Amino acid sequence: MIEIQNVTKIFPNGVRALNDISVTINKGDFVFLVGPSGAGKSTFLKMLFREEIPTMGKILVDGKDIVTMPESRVPYLRRNLGIVLQDFQLLKNRTVAENVAFGLRVVGVSDAVINTRIQEALEQVGLSHKRRMFPTELSGGEQQRVCIARAIVNNPLVLITDEPTGNLDPMISDEIIKLFLEINMRGTTIIMATHNEKIVNKLRRRVLALMDGTIIKDEECGTYAYE
Amino acid sequence: MSLAKLSFFLTEALTNLRRSGITTFITVSTVAISLVIMGAFLFTTMNLEAFLLQMQSEAMVTVYLKNDTLLAEAHTFNMRLADMPEVADSLVVSSEDAVRELFSDPDDKRLLQIGVTPEDNPLPTTIRIKLKNPDLLKSIVDKVKLEPLVDNLSYGEDLFKQFEGMSGLLWYVSLSVVVLLGCSSMFIVFNTVRMTLFMRREEIIIMKLVGATDWFVRGPFIIEGLVQGLIGSVIATIILLSSYHLVVGKFAELIPFFGIGITFEQLFKLTAKLFMMGLILGVVGSLLSLRDIRKFSSSVN
Ligand SMILES: Nc1ncnc2c1ncn2[C@@H]1O[C@H](COP(=O)(O)OP(=O)(O)OP(=O)(O)O)[C@@H](O)[C@H]1O
Ligand SMILES: [Mg+2]
Repeated sequence: MIEIQNVTKIFPNGVRALNDISVTINKGDFVFLVGPSGAGKSTFLKMLFREEIPTMGKILVDGKDIVTMPESRVPYLRRNLGIVLQDFQLLKNRTVAENVAFGLRVVGVSDAVINTRIQEALEQVGLSHKRRMFPTELSGGEQQRVCIARAIVNNPLVLITDEPTGNLDPMISDEIIKLFLEINMRGTTIIMATHNEKIVNKLRRRVLALMDGTIIKDEECGTYAYE
Repeated sequence: MSLAKLSFFLTEALTNLRRSGITTFITVSTVAISLVIMGAFLFTTMNLEAFLLQMQSEAMVTVYLKNDTLLAEAHTFNMRLADMPEVADSLVVSSEDAVRELFSDPDDKRLLQIGVTPEDNPLPTTIRIKLKNPDLLKSIVDKVKLEPLVDNLSYGEDLFKQFEGMSGLLWYVSLSVVVLLGCSSMFIVFNTVRMTLFMRREEIIIMKLVGATDWFVRGPFIIEGLVQGLIGSVIATIILLSSYHLVVGKFAELIPFFGIGITFEQLFKLTAKLFMMGLILGVVGSLLSLRDIRKFSSSVN
Protein backbone atom coordinates (compact mmCIF):
# COMPACT_ATOMS: atom_id res chain seq x y z
CA MET A 1 0.00 0.00 0.00
CA ILE A 2 2.65 2.52 1.09
CA GLU A 3 6.30 1.93 0.39
CA ILE A 4 8.93 4.29 1.67
CA GLN A 5 12.41 3.64 0.31
CA ASN A 6 15.52 5.35 1.66
CA VAL A 7 13.80 8.65 2.22
CA THR A 8 15.81 11.57 3.51
CA LYS A 9 14.44 15.03 4.11
CA ILE A 10 16.75 17.96 4.58
CA PHE A 11 15.02 21.32 5.01
CA PRO A 12 16.42 24.40 3.30
CA ASN A 13 17.75 25.58 6.66
CA GLY A 14 19.90 22.46 6.85
CA VAL A 15 17.80 20.51 9.38
CA ARG A 16 17.87 16.81 8.57
CA ALA A 17 14.34 15.88 9.66
CA LEU A 18 14.37 12.36 8.20
CA ASN A 19 17.42 10.24 7.59
CA ASP A 20 17.38 7.29 5.19
CA ILE A 21 14.00 5.88 6.20
CA SER A 22 12.60 2.68 4.69
CA VAL A 23 9.19 1.33 5.75
CA THR A 24 6.41 -0.67 4.17
CA ILE A 25 2.83 -0.20 5.37
CA ASN A 26 0.25 -2.74 4.26
CA LYS A 27 -3.40 -2.38 3.49
CA GLY A 28 -5.47 -2.43 6.66
CA ASP A 29 -2.53 -1.70 8.97
CA PHE A 30 -2.99 0.48 12.03
CA VAL A 31 0.35 2.17 12.62
CA PHE A 32 1.32 4.38 15.56
CA LEU A 33 4.14 6.78 14.88
CA VAL A 34 5.85 7.72 18.14
CA GLY A 35 8.98 9.54 19.20
CA PRO A 36 10.09 12.67 21.02
CA SER A 37 9.23 16.14 19.86
CA GLY A 38 11.25 17.05 16.80
CA ALA A 39 11.87 13.43 15.86
CA GLY A 40 10.34 13.94 12.42
CA LYS A 41 6.87 12.43 12.84
CA SER A 42 4.98 15.29 11.23
CA THR A 43 7.52 15.53 8.45
CA PHE A 44 7.08 11.81 7.82
CA LEU A 45 3.31 12.20 7.50
CA LYS A 46 3.52 15.32 5.31
CA MET A 47 5.67 13.34 2.91
CA LEU A 48 2.80 10.88 2.46
CA PHE A 49 0.37 13.50 1.21
CA ARG A 50 2.96 15.47 -0.72
CA GLU A 51 2.93 18.46 1.56
CA GLU A 52 6.69 17.98 1.72
CA ILE A 53 8.87 16.39 -0.93
CA PRO A 54 11.77 14.12 0.11
CA THR A 55 15.26 15.34 -0.64
CA MET A 56 16.20 11.77 -1.54
CA GLY A 57 14.39 8.45 -1.82
CA LYS A 58 11.17 7.11 -3.19
CA ILE A 59 7.61 6.89 -1.87
CA LEU A 60 4.99 4.67 -3.48
CA VAL A 61 1.34 5.04 -2.55
CA ASP A 62 -0.92 2.42 -4.08
CA GLY A 63 1.85 1.68 -6.57
CA LYS A 64 2.31 5.29 -7.68
CA ASP A 65 5.53 7.19 -7.15
CA ILE A 66 4.35 10.31 -5.37
CA VAL A 67 7.78 11.96 -5.28
CA THR A 68 8.06 12.41 -9.02
CA MET A 69 4.31 12.90 -9.42
CA PRO A 70 3.57 16.21 -11.16
CA GLU A 71 1.95 18.87 -9.02
CA SER A 72 -1.21 18.65 -11.08
CA ARG A 73 -1.78 15.03 -9.97
CA VAL A 74 -1.44 15.75 -6.25
CA PRO A 75 -5.16 16.55 -5.77
CA TYR A 76 -6.03 13.10 -7.08
CA LEU A 77 -3.58 11.51 -4.65
CA ARG A 78 -5.20 13.41 -1.79
CA ARG A 79 -8.68 12.28 -2.74
CA ASN A 80 -7.53 8.78 -1.84
CA LEU A 81 -6.23 9.92 1.51
CA GLY A 82 -8.04 11.15 4.59
CA ILE A 83 -6.11 13.72 6.60
CA VAL A 84 -6.87 14.68 10.20
CA LEU A 85 -4.62 17.13 12.00
CA GLN A 86 -4.25 18.24 15.59
CA ASP A 87 -5.93 21.63 15.31
CA PHE A 88 -9.41 20.94 14.05
CA GLN A 89 -9.32 22.61 10.66
CA LEU A 90 -12.96 23.49 10.31
CA LEU A 91 -14.57 26.48 8.67
CA LYS A 92 -16.36 28.47 11.33
CA ASN A 93 -18.93 30.05 9.04
CA ARG A 94 -20.15 26.73 7.69
CA THR A 95 -22.32 24.10 9.26
CA VAL A 96 -21.07 20.69 10.27
CA ALA A 97 -22.68 19.19 7.16
CA GLU A 98 -21.09 21.77 4.87
CA ASN A 99 -17.69 21.19 6.43
CA VAL A 100 -17.98 17.47 5.79
CA ALA A 101 -19.29 18.14 2.29
CA PHE A 102 -16.06 19.88 1.39
CA GLY A 103 -14.42 16.52 0.89
CA LEU A 104 -16.95 15.77 -1.85
CA ARG A 105 -17.42 19.20 -3.38
CA VAL A 106 -13.92 19.19 -4.78
CA VAL A 107 -14.68 16.02 -6.69
CA GLY A 108 -17.81 17.54 -8.19
CA VAL A 109 -20.31 15.08 -6.75
CA SER A 110 -24.00 15.97 -7.11
CA ASP A 111 -25.93 17.37 -4.15
CA ALA A 112 -28.07 14.27 -3.77
CA VAL A 113 -25.04 12.01 -3.47
CA ILE A 114 -23.34 14.49 -1.18
CA ASN A 115 -26.31 14.45 1.18
CA THR A 116 -26.42 10.70 1.62
CA ARG A 117 -22.66 10.42 1.97
CA ILE A 118 -22.57 13.21 4.58
CA GLN A 119 -25.31 11.45 6.48
CA GLU A 120 -23.37 8.18 6.46
CA ALA A 121 -20.12 9.80 7.55
CA LEU A 122 -21.78 11.80 10.32
CA GLU A 123 -23.61 8.71 11.57
CA GLN A 124 -20.30 6.90 11.69
CA VAL A 125 -18.82 9.56 13.98
CA GLY A 126 -22.08 9.86 15.93
CA LEU A 127 -22.90 13.44 14.99
CA SER A 128 -25.75 13.20 12.52
CA HIS A 129 -28.04 15.03 14.94
CA LYS A 130 -25.73 18.06 14.91
CA ARG A 131 -25.34 18.42 11.18
CA ARG A 132 -26.88 21.89 11.10
CA MET A 133 -24.75 23.32 13.90
CA PHE A 134 -21.68 25.46 13.47
CA PRO A 135 -18.25 24.30 14.68
CA THR A 136 -18.18 26.94 17.41
CA GLU A 137 -21.25 25.32 18.94
CA LEU A 138 -19.42 22.01 19.34
CA SER A 139 -16.96 20.69 21.93
CA GLY A 140 -13.35 19.95 20.95
CA GLY A 141 -14.03 16.25 20.73
CA GLU A 142 -17.03 16.84 18.52
CA GLN A 143 -15.07 19.17 16.28
CA GLN A 144 -12.43 16.51 15.82
CA ARG A 145 -15.18 14.05 14.93
CA VAL A 146 -16.36 16.40 12.23
CA CYS A 147 -12.80 16.47 10.85
CA ILE A 148 -12.77 12.68 10.88
CA ALA A 149 -16.12 12.58 9.10
CA ARG A 150 -14.73 14.91 6.45
CA ALA A 151 -11.66 12.70 6.08
CA ILE A 152 -13.65 9.48 5.61
CA VAL A 153 -16.50 10.83 3.50
CA ASN A 154 -14.50 9.99 0.37
CA ASN A 155 -13.80 6.39 1.49
CA PRO A 156 -10.03 6.92 1.52
CA LEU A 157 -7.51 4.10 1.24
CA VAL A 158 -5.39 5.60 3.99
CA LEU A 159 -6.20 7.86 6.90
CA ILE A 160 -3.25 9.97 7.96
CA THR A 161 -3.56 11.69 11.30
CA ASP A 162 -1.14 13.83 13.27
CA GLU A 163 -1.82 13.95 17.03
CA PRO A 164 -5.60 13.82 16.66
CA THR A 165 -6.03 13.72 20.41
CA GLY A 166 -3.36 16.31 21.19
CA ASN A 167 -5.89 18.94 22.23
CA LEU A 168 -8.40 16.63 23.92
CA ASP A 169 -8.85 15.34 27.45
CA PRO A 170 -8.20 11.61 28.11
CA MET A 171 -11.81 10.46 28.07
CA ILE A 172 -12.63 12.21 24.82
CA SER A 173 -9.34 10.97 23.40
CA ASP A 174 -10.36 7.39 24.10
CA GLU A 175 -13.59 7.93 22.20
CA ILE A 176 -11.77 9.40 19.24
CA ILE A 177 -9.33 6.49 19.18
CA LYS A 178 -12.25 4.07 19.32
CA LEU A 179 -13.60 5.80 16.25
CA PHE A 180 -10.32 5.29 14.43
CA LEU A 181 -10.38 1.62 15.38
CA GLU A 182 -13.85 1.26 13.88
CA ILE A 183 -12.71 2.94 10.69
CA ASN A 184 -9.69 0.65 10.58
CA MET A 185 -11.93 -2.35 11.04
CA ARG A 186 -13.71 -1.45 7.80
CA GLY A 187 -10.41 -1.83 6.00
CA THR A 188 -8.97 1.68 5.97
CA THR A 189 -5.25 1.87 6.65
CA ILE A 190 -4.46 4.25 9.51
CA ILE A 191 -1.21 6.02 10.26
CA MET A 192 -1.29 8.05 13.45
CA ALA A 193 1.44 10.17 14.98
CA THR A 194 0.83 10.45 18.72
CA HIS A 195 2.30 11.24 22.11
CA ASN A 196 -0.49 9.34 23.85
CA GLU A 197 1.44 6.58 25.63
CA LYS A 198 -1.54 5.07 27.40
CA ILE A 199 -3.49 4.47 24.22
CA VAL A 200 -0.54 3.04 22.30
CA ASN A 201 0.19 0.61 25.13
CA LYS A 202 -3.43 -0.39 25.50
CA LEU A 203 -4.11 -1.08 21.82
CA ARG A 204 -0.91 -2.95 21.01
CA ARG A 205 -0.82 -2.19 17.31
CA ARG A 206 2.13 -1.74 15.03
CA VAL A 207 4.45 0.93 16.44
CA LEU A 208 7.06 2.88 14.49
CA ALA A 209 9.40 4.89 16.69
CA LEU A 210 11.34 7.80 15.25
CA MET A 211 14.29 9.50 16.87
CA ASP A 212 16.30 12.27 15.24
CA GLY A 213 14.87 11.36 11.87
CA THR A 214 15.73 7.69 12.08
CA ILE A 215 13.48 4.69 12.69
CA ILE A 216 14.71 3.09 15.87
CA LYS A 217 11.90 0.60 16.33
CA ASP A 218 9.27 -1.13 14.19
CA GLU A 219 7.16 -3.62 16.14
CA GLU A 220 3.93 -5.45 15.49
CA CYS A 221 1.82 -5.26 18.69
CA GLY A 222 4.33 -2.73 19.96
CA THR A 223 4.51 -0.41 22.96
CA TYR A 224 5.14 3.27 23.29
CA ALA A 225 8.64 3.11 24.80
CA TYR A 226 11.39 4.33 22.48
CA GLU A 227 14.35 4.69 24.80
CA MET B 1 -16.95 21.01 -15.77
CA SER B 2 -19.79 19.34 -13.95
CA LEU B 3 -22.99 21.15 -13.04
CA ALA B 4 -22.36 20.42 -9.37
CA LYS B 5 -19.02 22.24 -9.49
CA LEU B 6 -20.45 25.18 -11.38
CA SER B 7 -23.29 25.63 -8.93
CA PHE B 8 -20.85 25.34 -6.04
CA PHE B 9 -18.66 28.05 -7.62
CA LEU B 10 -21.65 30.28 -8.12
CA THR B 11 -23.00 29.99 -4.59
CA GLU B 12 -19.51 30.43 -3.17
CA ALA B 13 -18.85 33.51 -5.28
CA LEU B 14 -22.20 35.11 -4.52
CA THR B 15 -21.99 34.42 -0.79
CA ASN B 16 -18.54 35.87 -0.76
CA LEU B 17 -19.53 38.98 -2.70
CA ARG B 18 -22.36 39.56 -0.28
CA ARG B 19 -20.14 39.05 2.73
CA SER B 20 -17.57 41.58 1.59
CA GLY B 21 -20.24 44.11 0.67
CA ILE B 22 -18.26 47.33 0.84
CA THR B 23 -15.30 46.01 -1.08
CA THR B 24 -17.63 44.63 -3.71
CA PHE B 25 -19.43 47.97 -3.89
CA ILE B 26 -16.20 49.89 -4.40
CA THR B 27 -14.93 47.48 -7.03
CA VAL B 28 -18.18 47.42 -8.93
CA SER B 29 -18.45 51.22 -8.87
CA THR B 30 -14.89 51.62 -10.11
CA VAL B 31 -15.52 49.23 -12.95
CA ALA B 32 -18.80 50.96 -13.76
CA ILE B 33 -17.29 54.47 -13.76
CA SER B 34 -14.38 53.35 -15.89
CA LEU B 35 -16.74 51.74 -18.35
CA VAL B 36 -18.94 54.84 -18.51
CA ILE B 37 -15.93 56.99 -19.36
CA MET B 38 -14.68 54.45 -21.88
CA GLY B 39 -18.15 54.26 -23.35
CA ALA B 40 -18.42 58.03 -23.63
CA PHE B 41 -15.12 58.21 -25.49
CA LEU B 42 -16.01 55.38 -27.80
CA PHE B 43 -19.36 56.98 -28.41
CA THR B 44 -17.87 60.34 -29.35
CA THR B 45 -15.40 58.69 -31.65
CA MET B 46 -18.15 56.70 -33.28
CA ASN B 47 -20.13 59.90 -33.81
CA LEU B 48 -17.27 61.64 -35.48
CA GLU B 49 -16.65 58.62 -37.65
CA ALA B 50 -20.27 58.55 -38.66
CA PHE B 51 -20.12 62.24 -39.49
CA LEU B 52 -17.01 61.77 -41.62
CA LEU B 53 -18.57 58.89 -43.42
CA GLN B 54 -21.60 60.94 -44.20
CA MET B 55 -19.43 63.80 -45.42
CA GLN B 56 -17.52 61.50 -47.64
CA SER B 57 -20.54 59.78 -49.02
CA GLU B 58 -21.78 63.22 -50.05
CA ALA B 59 -18.44 63.98 -51.61
CA MET B 60 -19.20 66.30 -54.42
CA VAL B 61 -17.02 67.93 -57.00
CA THR B 62 -18.13 71.20 -58.43
CA VAL B 63 -16.72 71.85 -61.89
CA TYR B 64 -16.73 75.52 -62.91
CA LEU B 65 -16.89 75.95 -66.64
CA LYS B 66 -15.30 78.82 -68.55
CA ASN B 67 -17.43 81.93 -68.86
CA ASP B 68 -18.07 81.68 -72.59
CA THR B 69 -19.25 78.06 -72.43
CA LEU B 70 -22.61 77.51 -74.08
CA LEU B 71 -25.25 75.53 -72.24
CA ALA B 72 -25.37 72.97 -75.04
CA GLU B 73 -21.63 72.44 -74.77
CA ALA B 74 -22.03 72.00 -71.06
CA HIS B 75 -24.67 69.29 -71.56
CA THR B 76 -22.52 67.42 -74.07
CA PHE B 77 -19.60 67.55 -71.66
CA ASN B 78 -21.87 66.40 -68.89
CA MET B 79 -22.86 63.34 -70.89
CA ARG B 80 -19.22 62.39 -71.23
CA LEU B 81 -18.72 62.89 -67.53
CA ALA B 82 -21.68 60.71 -66.68
CA ASP B 83 -20.07 57.85 -68.56
CA MET B 84 -16.91 57.99 -66.47
CA PRO B 85 -16.60 55.03 -64.06
CA GLU B 86 -16.03 57.24 -61.00
CA VAL B 87 -19.20 59.24 -61.43
CA ALA B 88 -22.40 58.24 -59.69
CA ASP B 89 -24.41 61.22 -60.76
CA SER B 90 -23.80 64.52 -62.42
CA LEU B 91 -25.89 67.58 -63.02
CA VAL B 92 -25.51 70.72 -65.06
CA VAL B 93 -26.37 73.86 -63.15
CA SER B 94 -26.74 76.76 -65.54
CA SER B 95 -25.79 80.21 -64.36
CA GLU B 96 -29.52 81.04 -64.27
CA ASP B 97 -30.21 78.06 -62.04
CA ALA B 98 -27.37 79.07 -59.80
CA VAL B 99 -28.71 82.55 -59.43
CA ARG B 100 -32.17 81.26 -58.71
CA GLU B 101 -30.76 79.03 -56.03
CA LEU B 102 -28.81 81.89 -54.59
CA PHE B 103 -31.76 84.20 -54.47
CA SER B 104 -34.20 81.54 -53.33
CA ASP B 105 -34.67 83.39 -50.08
CA PRO B 106 -36.40 86.66 -50.99
CA ASP B 107 -35.73 88.14 -47.54
CA ASP B 108 -31.99 87.72 -47.91
CA LYS B 109 -30.71 91.11 -48.98
CA ARG B 110 -27.05 90.46 -48.38
CA LEU B 111 -26.23 89.67 -51.99
CA LEU B 112 -27.87 92.85 -53.15
CA GLN B 113 -25.87 94.79 -50.62
CA ILE B 114 -22.59 93.64 -52.14
CA GLY B 115 -23.83 94.52 -55.60
CA VAL B 116 -24.94 91.18 -56.90
CA THR B 117 -28.32 91.19 -58.62
CA PRO B 118 -30.18 88.54 -60.61
CA GLU B 119 -29.99 90.75 -63.65
CA ASP B 120 -26.26 91.19 -63.61
CA ASN B 121 -25.34 87.52 -63.30
CA PRO B 122 -21.71 86.88 -62.39
CA LEU B 123 -22.08 83.14 -61.84
CA PRO B 124 -20.56 80.59 -64.24
CA THR B 125 -22.27 77.46 -65.44
CA THR B 126 -21.22 74.51 -63.27
CA ILE B 127 -21.47 70.74 -63.29
CA ARG B 128 -21.96 69.00 -59.98
CA ILE B 129 -20.53 65.52 -59.80
CA LYS B 130 -21.41 62.98 -57.18
CA LEU B 131 -18.80 60.25 -56.80
CA LYS B 132 -19.45 56.58 -56.46
CA ASN B 133 -16.78 56.38 -53.81
CA PRO B 134 -14.87 59.15 -52.02
CA ASP B 135 -11.57 57.40 -52.79
CA LEU B 136 -12.07 58.20 -56.47
CA LEU B 137 -11.82 61.91 -55.83
CA LYS B 138 -8.22 62.25 -56.87
CA SER B 139 -8.53 60.39 -60.16
CA ILE B 140 -11.61 62.31 -61.29
CA VAL B 141 -10.06 65.64 -60.34
CA ASP B 142 -6.95 64.83 -62.34
CA LYS B 143 -8.99 63.86 -65.41
CA VAL B 144 -11.46 66.73 -65.39
CA LYS B 145 -8.84 69.42 -64.71
CA LEU B 146 -7.40 68.98 -68.22
CA GLU B 147 -10.67 69.39 -70.07
CA PRO B 148 -10.73 72.54 -72.28
CA LEU B 149 -14.10 73.74 -71.01
CA VAL B 150 -13.06 73.58 -67.38
CA ASP B 151 -12.05 76.72 -65.59
CA ASN B 152 -11.78 75.52 -62.06
CA LEU B 153 -12.70 72.72 -59.61
CA SER B 154 -13.67 72.71 -55.97
CA TYR B 155 -14.05 69.73 -53.69
CA GLY B 156 -13.62 70.65 -49.99
CA GLU B 157 -10.28 68.94 -49.81
CA ASP B 158 -8.97 70.79 -46.80
CA LEU B 159 -12.02 69.97 -44.74
CA PHE B 160 -11.60 66.26 -45.42
CA LYS B 161 -8.01 66.28 -44.33
CA GLN B 162 -8.81 68.19 -41.19
CA PHE B 163 -11.55 65.86 -40.14
CA GLU B 164 -9.57 62.80 -40.97
CA GLY B 165 -6.72 64.01 -38.78
CA MET B 166 -9.12 64.81 -35.99
CA SER B 167 -10.73 61.39 -36.18
CA GLY B 168 -7.33 59.70 -36.07
CA LEU B 169 -6.35 61.70 -33.03
CA LEU B 170 -9.62 60.94 -31.31
CA TRP B 171 -9.12 57.24 -31.91
CA TYR B 172 -5.72 57.44 -30.28
CA VAL B 173 -7.11 59.32 -27.31
CA SER B 174 -10.00 56.89 -26.97
CA LEU B 175 -7.69 53.94 -27.16
CA SER B 176 -5.40 55.40 -24.52
CA VAL B 177 -8.35 56.10 -22.26
CA VAL B 178 -9.66 52.57 -22.74
CA VAL B 179 -6.27 51.01 -22.01
CA LEU B 180 -5.57 53.25 -19.04
CA LEU B 181 -8.95 52.87 -17.40
CA GLY B 182 -9.02 49.20 -18.33
CA CYS B 183 -5.73 48.59 -16.56
CA SER B 184 -6.71 50.54 -13.49
CA SER B 185 -10.03 48.81 -13.02
CA MET B 186 -8.38 45.49 -13.67
CA PHE B 187 -5.97 46.38 -10.91
CA ILE B 188 -8.88 47.11 -8.57
CA VAL B 189 -10.44 43.73 -9.33
CA PHE B 190 -7.02 42.16 -8.87
CA ASN B 191 -6.77 43.68 -5.41
CA THR B 192 -10.26 42.71 -4.34
CA VAL B 193 -9.71 39.12 -5.32
CA ARG B 194 -6.33 39.22 -3.62
CA MET B 195 -7.95 40.43 -0.44
CA THR B 196 -10.63 37.75 -0.42
CA LEU B 197 -7.90 35.25 -1.20
CA PHE B 198 -6.11 36.24 2.00
CA MET B 199 -9.35 36.30 3.94
CA ARG B 200 -10.15 32.79 2.77
CA ARG B 201 -6.71 31.36 3.21
CA GLU B 202 -7.86 28.76 5.70
CA GLU B 203 -10.55 27.60 3.36
CA ILE B 204 -8.08 27.22 0.52
CA ILE B 205 -5.76 25.16 2.72
CA ILE B 206 -8.62 22.83 3.62
CA MET B 207 -9.77 22.59 0.04
CA LYS B 208 -6.30 21.59 -1.07
CA LEU B 209 -6.04 19.13 1.78
CA VAL B 210 -9.14 17.28 0.67
CA GLY B 211 -7.95 17.15 -2.93
CA ALA B 212 -9.12 20.28 -4.71
CA THR B 213 -7.30 21.06 -7.94
CA ASP B 214 -5.88 24.54 -8.42
CA TRP B 215 -8.65 25.32 -10.89
CA PHE B 216 -11.28 24.21 -8.44
CA VAL B 217 -9.87 26.58 -5.84
CA ARG B 218 -9.78 29.36 -8.42
CA GLY B 219 -13.33 28.72 -9.61
CA PRO B 220 -15.29 30.81 -7.10
CA PHE B 221 -12.81 33.67 -7.33
CA ILE B 222 -13.00 33.78 -11.11
CA ILE B 223 -16.77 33.86 -10.93
CA GLU B 224 -16.46 36.57 -8.33
CA GLY B 225 -14.40 38.71 -10.71
CA LEU B 226 -16.74 37.90 -13.55
CA VAL B 227 -19.80 38.91 -11.56
CA GLN B 228 -18.15 42.15 -10.49
CA GLY B 229 -17.28 42.96 -14.08
CA LEU B 230 -20.76 42.06 -15.21
CA ILE B 231 -22.56 44.16 -12.59
CA GLY B 232 -20.18 47.00 -13.40
CA SER B 233 -21.04 46.85 -17.07
CA VAL B 234 -24.77 46.60 -16.40
CA ILE B 235 -24.61 49.77 -14.32
CA ALA B 236 -22.41 51.48 -16.91
CA THR B 237 -24.83 50.55 -19.69
CA ILE B 238 -27.80 51.87 -17.73
CA ILE B 239 -26.01 55.15 -17.05
CA LEU B 240 -24.85 55.53 -20.65
CA LEU B 241 -28.14 54.65 -22.29
CA SER B 242 -30.26 56.73 -19.93
CA SER B 243 -28.06 59.75 -20.42
CA TYR B 244 -27.82 59.18 -24.16
CA HIS B 245 -30.79 61.29 -25.20
CA LEU B 246 -30.01 63.94 -22.64
CA VAL B 247 -26.43 64.31 -23.79
CA VAL B 248 -27.22 64.04 -27.47
CA GLY B 249 -29.92 66.69 -27.15
CA LYS B 250 -27.59 69.08 -25.35
CA PHE B 251 -24.63 68.52 -27.61
CA ALA B 252 -26.58 68.56 -30.83
CA GLU B 253 -27.10 72.29 -30.25
CA LEU B 254 -23.40 72.90 -29.79
CA ILE B 255 -21.77 70.42 -32.12
CA PRO B 256 -23.44 69.85 -35.45
CA PHE B 257 -22.45 66.26 -35.94
CA PHE B 258 -23.22 64.89 -32.49
CA GLY B 259 -25.73 62.10 -32.50
CA ILE B 260 -26.14 61.89 -36.21
CA GLY B 261 -25.68 58.65 -38.02
CA ILE B 262 -25.55 56.48 -34.88
CA THR B 263 -27.96 53.65 -35.48
CA PHE B 264 -29.60 51.44 -32.92
CA GLU B 265 -27.40 48.64 -34.16
CA GLN B 266 -24.27 50.62 -33.47
CA LEU B 267 -25.54 51.52 -30.03
CA PHE B 268 -26.16 47.85 -29.38
CA LYS B 269 -22.65 47.02 -30.53
CA LEU B 270 -21.23 49.63 -28.21
CA THR B 271 -23.16 48.12 -25.32
CA ALA B 272 -21.92 44.67 -26.24
CA LYS B 273 -18.38 46.03 -26.31
CA LEU B 274 -18.79 47.47 -22.83
CA PHE B 275 -20.11 44.16 -21.55
CA MET B 276 -17.20 42.32 -23.08
CA MET B 277 -14.82 44.79 -21.53
CA GLY B 278 -16.45 44.45 -18.13
CA LEU B 279 -16.22 40.68 -18.33
CA ILE B 280 -12.63 40.74 -19.48
CA LEU B 281 -11.67 43.19 -16.75
CA GLY B 282 -13.25 41.00 -14.11
CA VAL B 283 -11.93 37.68 -15.31
CA VAL B 284 -8.42 38.81 -16.22
CA GLY B 285 -8.14 40.78 -12.99
CA SER B 286 -9.00 37.77 -10.90
CA LEU B 287 -6.92 35.37 -13.01
CA LEU B 288 -3.87 37.56 -12.48
CA SER B 289 -4.62 37.51 -8.81
CA LEU B 290 -4.84 33.72 -8.78
CA ARG B 291 -1.62 32.96 -10.62
CA ASP B 292 0.31 31.88 -7.53
CA ILE B 293 -2.53 30.16 -5.71
CA ARG B 294 -0.22 27.33 -4.67
CA LYS B 295 1.60 29.63 -2.29
CA PHE B 296 -1.59 29.93 -0.29
CA SER B 297 -2.11 26.27 0.19
CA SER B 298 1.22 25.00 1.48
CA SER B 299 1.05 25.79 5.14
CA VAL B 300 -0.31 22.78 6.97
CA ASN B 301 1.08 22.73 10.49
N1 LIG C 1 9.39 23.70 7.37
C1 LIG C 1 10.47 23.40 8.10
N2 LIG C 1 11.60 24.06 7.89
C2 LIG C 1 12.70 23.78 8.61
N3 LIG C 1 12.74 22.86 9.56
C3 LIG C 1 11.62 22.17 9.83
C4 LIG C 1 10.42 22.40 9.13
N4 LIG C 1 9.46 21.57 9.60
C5 LIG C 1 10.05 20.84 10.56
N5 LIG C 1 11.35 21.19 10.72
C6 LIG C 1 12.30 20.59 11.64
O1 LIG C 1 12.34 19.21 11.37
C7 LIG C 1 12.44 18.47 12.57
C8 LIG C 1 11.31 17.48 12.67
O2 LIG C 1 10.10 18.19 12.83
P1 LIG C 1 8.68 17.49 12.95
O3 LIG C 1 7.67 18.54 12.98
O4 LIG C 1 8.60 16.44 11.92
O5 LIG C 1 8.79 16.80 14.37
P2 LIG C 1 7.67 16.00 15.18
O6 LIG C 1 8.22 14.65 15.42
O7 LIG C 1 6.39 16.10 14.48
O8 LIG C 1 7.61 16.82 16.51
P3 LIG C 1 6.33 17.03 17.49
O9 LIG C 1 6.15 15.79 18.25
O10 LIG C 1 6.73 18.15 18.35
O11 LIG C 1 5.19 17.38 16.61
C9 LIG C 1 12.45 19.49 13.68
O12 LIG C 1 13.81 19.71 14.06
C10 LIG C 1 11.88 20.73 13.07
O13 LIG C 1 12.44 21.87 13.65
MG1 LIG D 1 4.51 17.01 14.86
